[in-house]
Parts: sequence; structure tokens; C-alpha cells
Amino acid sequence: MIHFLLKGLLRDKNRSLFPIIIVSIGVALTVFLSGYIKGVMGDMIDTTAKFDTGHVKVMTRAYAKNIDQMPNDLALMGVEKLTKELARKYPEVTWVKRIKFTGLLDVPDDKGETIRQGPAMGLAIGLFSGSGREVARMNIKNSIKAGKIPENPGEALIGIELAQKLKLKPKDIVTYLGSTMNGSMAFMNFIVTGFVRFGSQSLDKGAIIIDIFDAQEMLDMPDACGEILGFFENNVYFDSKAQILASAFNTEYFDESEEFSPVMVRLKDQANLAYYMDYVDLYTMIFVGIFVIAMSVVLWNTGLLGGLRRYQEFGIRLALGESKDMIFRSLIIEALLIGTTGSVLGTIIGLIATWILQVHGIDISSMTANSTIMVPSIIRSKVTPDLFYIGFIPGLFAMVLGNLLAGIGIFKRQTAQLFKELEI
Amino acid sequence: MKIISVENVVKCFPVGDGKFTALDHISLDFFTGEFAGLVGPSGSGKTTLLNIIGSLDKPSKGKAQVAGKDIEALTHKQAAQLRNHSIGFIFQVFNLLPVYTVFENVEFALLLQKKPWHERKKAVMDALEWVGLENMADKKISKLSGGESQRVAIARAMVKRPRIMLADEPSANLDAKNTHSIMETMKTLNQEFKTTFLFSTHDEKVMQYLDRIIHLEDGKVVKDEIITSRKEDF
Ligand SMILES: Nc1ncnc2c1ncn2[C@@H]1O[C@H](COP(=O)(O)OP(=O)(O)OP(=O)(O)O)[C@@H](O)[C@H]1O
Ligand SMILES: [Mg+2]
Repeated sequence: MIHFLLKGLLRDKNRSLFPIIIVSIGVALTVFLSGYIKGVMGDMIDTTAKFDTGHVKVMTRAYAKNIDQMPNDLALMGVEKLTKELARKYPEVTWVKRIKFTGLLDVPDDKGETIRQGPAMGLAIGLFSGSGREVARMNIKNSIKAGKIPENPGEALIGIELAQKLKLKPKDIVTYLGSTMNGSMAFMNFIVTGFVRFGSQSLDKGAIIIDIFDAQEMLDMPDACGEILGFFENNVYFDSKAQILASAFNTEYFDESEEFSPVMVRLKDQANLAYYMDYVDLYTMIFVGIFVIAMSVVLWNTGLLGGLRRYQEFGIRLALGESKDMIFRSLIIEALLIGTTGSVLGTIIGLIATWILQVHGIDISSMTANSTIMVPSIIRSKVTPDLFYIGFIPGLFAMVLGNLLAGIGIFKRQTAQLFKELEI
Repeated sequence: MKIISVENVVKCFPVGDGKFTALDHISLDFFTGEFAGLVGPSGSGKTTLLNIIGSLDKPSKGKAQVAGKDIEALTHKQAAQLRNHSIGFIFQVFNLLPVYTVFENVEFALLLQKKPWHERKKAVMDALEWVGLENMADKKISKLSGGESQRVAIARAMVKRPRIMLADEPSANLDAKNTHSIMETMKTLNQEFKTTFLFSTHDEKVMQYLDRIIHLEDGKVVKDEIITSRKEDF
């Protein structure tokens, strides 16, 4: 009997293929859209991660406590060894050294007299000494609005608004004035090779970006740095992964008595991001919820129409001696089958699409090149665990609900009335 | 043997505020092997009575006993059982399931009875032979002519060897040639298996095959005529 009904189901494309296609499309859209929202809404977090927090960050416990002051006197020592260890233990994570510093930028005339001066926030990264991954990560090449990227020691990039304030031209010389790790006077001349606009107020208005080796020399920090940042594959943050990583690291390296012992913190632990991320989660849920409801209504209609269209068949089956209960049950089983098949297919399609857009983000930086507001330059979606089941809610629920309502319609109707409709 | 007994059956339908009496104290008995028909103008209650006898509907008042069962007392499940085992239906429109083949349409009733495959196969092929469609078993329903479709419907109703066949205007969508042909087939089955046939019809061509004609008007029996006194004892 089940075999017989299945045969009919498969042959009747109006009952099998088309509903499956509709369910699949709806489910795929739901999955993809929620992955997309998660990706795009998470983009600000992404930017924060790239410029500031990493996905995880290693620093000394003392530095972590006073992080707002960029206290390089509390920086990590022996970072060559530590970075190598990290790379060996967690090879799937990319580890990079960074130094943040503050100071004054001084623009001298030909005789070395100060013409203009302004406070600056420094960021030292693997600008030309590294593998180029940091340059790519921060999208520096596309952010340069004038000049070019530094290639030699003693060269620097400057935030575009700071450059305007200091009336700089590419190839001008600026002098950095600050203090070393040990608290003595630090100063160094830089050739400004170019100006950058990242779309972030603080960076554009006050940043000087130099290579990590220059910073180590200038600040007297050999084999030391403020922070070691870890980035996950494809630059996508997974909190669960960060959590596991951080607790493993901290169990191993934690030393109560040593305030310079290293500590690892998750992205979520930093800069009030926990609050923001929960907020994003809430909004994602609301968006997805609305979409799920809309999709459910569409699929519910499909199920309803399917059921109504089949009054004739039900009439015949009643006449042949099936009870209403049996027909009702087979209707629901059918909806479950179709709903499940469509949901599985749709989820697979949605996941693949989401995954593709996660790995190969769409680069819209050319479109936003002249934009002054903070716009993510690459649109990425994100595959999260809930994407594996979220599509089943509209897929299965709406399909079964539609058939259920249609079935109740049949149940309520007098049997003889069904026949009336048959004989028209 | 009395197989259908209708006693003072009244059927009312709610219409607006009041109600409409479609069957007005009908009393009729049918015996095994009868080939009888209900005739009468449109709206006289023919289909309503067939539906009650077929356990698709219940009388508002009175008693209807079919194959030993009291129709008014049956649950949905019991009614389905009765239809499944004892009653075959033929309709004006052929009402075949279009996604299935001729064979599968006929097989369906036996699947409901949970008959094993070899029994089903034999019974279906026999039934198709009765109606002369044994060579069309694998055909799609959409490829059939009207006459062929009604034959499949007859085979489907007869395959479970029901004691009662109810045919509501079976010739309404058929031409003269096909009408005669299906009436002859049904007459043969009636004689061979002693199946009781009850028709509802307007059609003179159908009436000429009937052994008994019951005239209905406004839900009442106005005339009950035996055309040929049957030789066989009921
Ligand atoms: N479910 C219903 N609700 C209300 N009235 C109904 C219902 N079913 C039948 N009737 C009415 O009962 C009367 C008898 O209907 P029925 O279908 O039995 O007539 P019939 O003799 O079969 O007519 P026809 O020759 O047109 O098929 C009609 O007036 C019809 O409108
Ligand atoms: Mg009628």
C-alpha cells in the first residue's frame, strides 16, 4: 500500500517534483539569507578583528589589564619562540605580531625646525617584513588613496585625514616622538610613502602604520611585541573554536605568580564585543524569523492547494473503502516526505551557496572606493551550525501545516458532499 | 435473500434557515442478484438514496440495512470496511486515478484489503478479462477512451467481488454503442456472480436492461415495477 502510494506520488509531478522544488527554493533562500545576514552583520566584527582584536589575542596579563593605554612597557618578551610554539601547536591558526603605540608626529622644515605637529596612534604590522598576509588582511593596497605601500625600513603610511591636517605630500618626512619600552625617549624619521583611508574614524584621523621591525627598533623592543593575534582559516570567527583554543592555551601558560605570563583572550572578550555580538545574534534571529514566517505562508499555500486539488482522488479512495483517517494519515506522511526531501535539498543548496560566499567573498571595494562611511569592502556569508536545521522550520512545518489544514477541510466535509464535487 | 433493506428513510439537508427533505419516508427491499434501477427527474433523490445505501451518508430518520449492517450505526471506519468489502461504486464521471495504470487502478481496492501479490495479480487480470480489457493492463488512464475508462471503473468495482454494485448514471458520458456494451457486461456479471446491481439513471438505453424500475419523485417512491419476473429464486 505504501509502495503504491509512493508510486503515485513520484509519478504525479504536481505532488512531488513541484512542491519539492518550491520547498527547496524556500529552504535554500532561508538558509542562504540567514548565512548572508550573519556574514554581513558580522562584518563590523570582522573589521575589528583584523585591525584590533584578532580572533584570539595573546598578551601579558599585565598588558591585558591596561590595554587601553597601549602599555608597551608590559609587552610580551621572547615572542619569536612563543610565535613558533603557537604555530606548531595550532597550525590551522595564522599568528601575527603587532605593536600599538602612541606619540607625536612632527613635520620639520629643511632645517629640522618643527612646522606642524600632531598626536598619532601607531600600528606596527608585518608590512613588508611579513609574508604579505597582513597587507592583504587589512586590504591596505585598496585603501591607499595617494602614494604607494612602504617597501623599505624607515617608510610609513599615514591616515589620510591626519595627512591632510599635517599638510603632507607623499615622500615627505615626519618624525615620530615617543617613548621606548623602557621609558626612555624614542624618535625616528619616516618617509611617508602613502596615505590610507580604511573608513574607520580613529585610523583615518590618527594612524601611522609602520613595519613591525621598525617599531621594535624604534621602541627598543627586540624580540618583544605588545600583542600576538591569531586568525582562523578564511578569516571567519567561530566563538566556540576561540573558546576551546583560549582555554587550552590559558591552562598551559597561566602562571598566577607571574604577571607577565601570557594570556589568550577571545575576540568576544575584547572591546565590549560580547554585547555587540549578542545584539547581532538577536537581530539575525528577528530577520530570519520574519523570513521563516513569510516562507511558511508560501509553502502553506502550496500544501493547501495540493490538498484541494486532490478532492477527486480522496473521493475515489473513500468509495473504494479507505477511511478518512487513513487518507488523512497518508496525506500527512506525504507532506512529511516531500517536506523532508525539499528541506534536505534546500539546505544542501543553501549551505553550498553560503559556503561559496564565505570562502570567496564578493569584493565590492571598487563600488565603495569613494565612500566615506564605513562599508565592508568584501561581502561574505557565514556557515553556522544553525544553518543546518533552520531551513527545516519553514520546509517541514509549512508543508505539513498546509496539508494538515487541507486534510481537516476534507474531514469536516460530509463524505457525500465530496461525491457531489466529484460528479460535476 | 434480502441484501438491502430501506425502512422509512428520511433525509433532510439544511437549507438556509429551514431544511429540505430529499428523501421522504422511503421503504424498499432488494434481494441478492437483482438488477434494479432508480429513475426519476433531476432532484428526485436518486443519488441521495444511493449514497445512503453505499454508506457514504446516513439517513436523518429511518433504518437502512446493507449486507447485514445498520448504516445509521456505523462508524467511519466500519463504513469504510463495508465499502471496501461489500460495495462497488461506478460513477457518471469515471473517477480513475490518472497517475496509475489500468492494472494499478483496479489493483487499488485489493491493496486496501491487504491481499498478497499473486492473488491480486490474478484477480485484477480476471476482472480486466470480464470487461474485455485484458490487453490494456499497462496502459495509462489518459490514453483511454470514455468507454474503456468506464470499463476500467467496472473492473475496479468488481475486482473485489462485492455483493452490491451501485452505479450512479453510468452512461451519462457514453455514446449509445458504449452504453449498450457496458450494460451487457454488467448484466453478464450480474448473472455470473449474482451481484446485486442498483442503478440511478435517466437513460432509456439503461432502463431497457433493468429487471426492476423504481420511480422516485420529490423523494418519494411513486411506482415500483418488476419488468421481467426472474426465473432464478432470490
Ligand atoms: N448536501 C446537500 N445539501 C443540500 N441539498 C442537497 C444536498 N444533496 C442533495 N441535495 C438536494 O437534494 C435533492 C436530491 O438530490 P439528488 O442528488 O439525490 O437528486 P438526483 O435524483 O440524484 O438528481 P440528478 O438526476 O440531477 O442526479 C436535490 O434537490 C438536491 O439539491
Ligand atoms: Mg444524481
